[in-house]
Amino acid sequence: MAISITTAMPTSFKVELMKGLHNFTGASNRFKMALFKATASGSGTFGAATTNYSQMGSDELPTATGYTQQGKLLTSVTPTADGTTAITTFSALTWTSSSFTTSGALIYDTGDSNSACAVLSFGGDQTVSSGDFQIQFPSAAAASAIIRIA
Amino acid sequence: MTMISTVGGVQVGIATTSTVSGRGFTPEELAEHAVNEVISIGNNSHPVIQAQAEAFKEDIRAVVTNYLRQAVASHNTTLTNRFTDAGHPELVKLLEV
Repeated sequence: MAISITTAMPTSFKVELMKGLHNFTGASNRFKMALFKATASGSGTFGAATTNYSQMGSDELPTATGYTQQGKLLTSVTPTADGTTAITTFSALTWTSSSFTTSGALIYDTGDSNSACAVLSFGGDQTVSSGDFQIQFPSAAAASAIIRIA
Repeated sequence: MTMISTVGGVQVGIATTSTVSGRGFTPEELAEHAVNEVISIGNNSHPVIQAQAEAFKEDIRAVVTNYLRQAVASHNTTLTNRFTDAGHPELVKLLEV
């Protein structure tokens, strides 16, 4: 088996939004991004049905060579409107002095029992060796923002 | 019978990854990431507006690159002082590009 990751907004996250469980304002400082192992190094399936960080289990990169389990804290940008679409995004995130191979990431909310907010596939394994690994989020616009409600 | 509905959706965008091995990112690479995050030019925009936006993007790229280079140089000054204060002035040579 291999890790299967589909970029998706977890269904549970949509429900939680309607319950008012997530606060994306910049000062909330509660969202994290954790990285999955290389595709062939695990076996889980992640996507719309993913509900919580705990499901990453052994499919998360181990703590070593630049990566620490549970990932890094994201800096969120306070939600705004672009036309009739509500959008929010995060600042770019960098793992420095790193050596690892990853196939995707999970954004989750530490302020809501580590519930999953977004599953991101990198479209294949991404390898960094004694260097920097950076995630860039799309520009905060109605057609591109990382999280948007149209 | 009248049916009332709303159309919309909660969507996730596409994040991109960049890796460099054996070194860190250069000011030019980071400036590229920064302007792409700050300035988005729609494909459906009027060509004149697109051209103006591209020109503005280039101006911003040059300014950001310049300041990032200055940040690296300034940080190297800080490191030079730390190495020297720690009794290892020979390490300063490692900072020379």
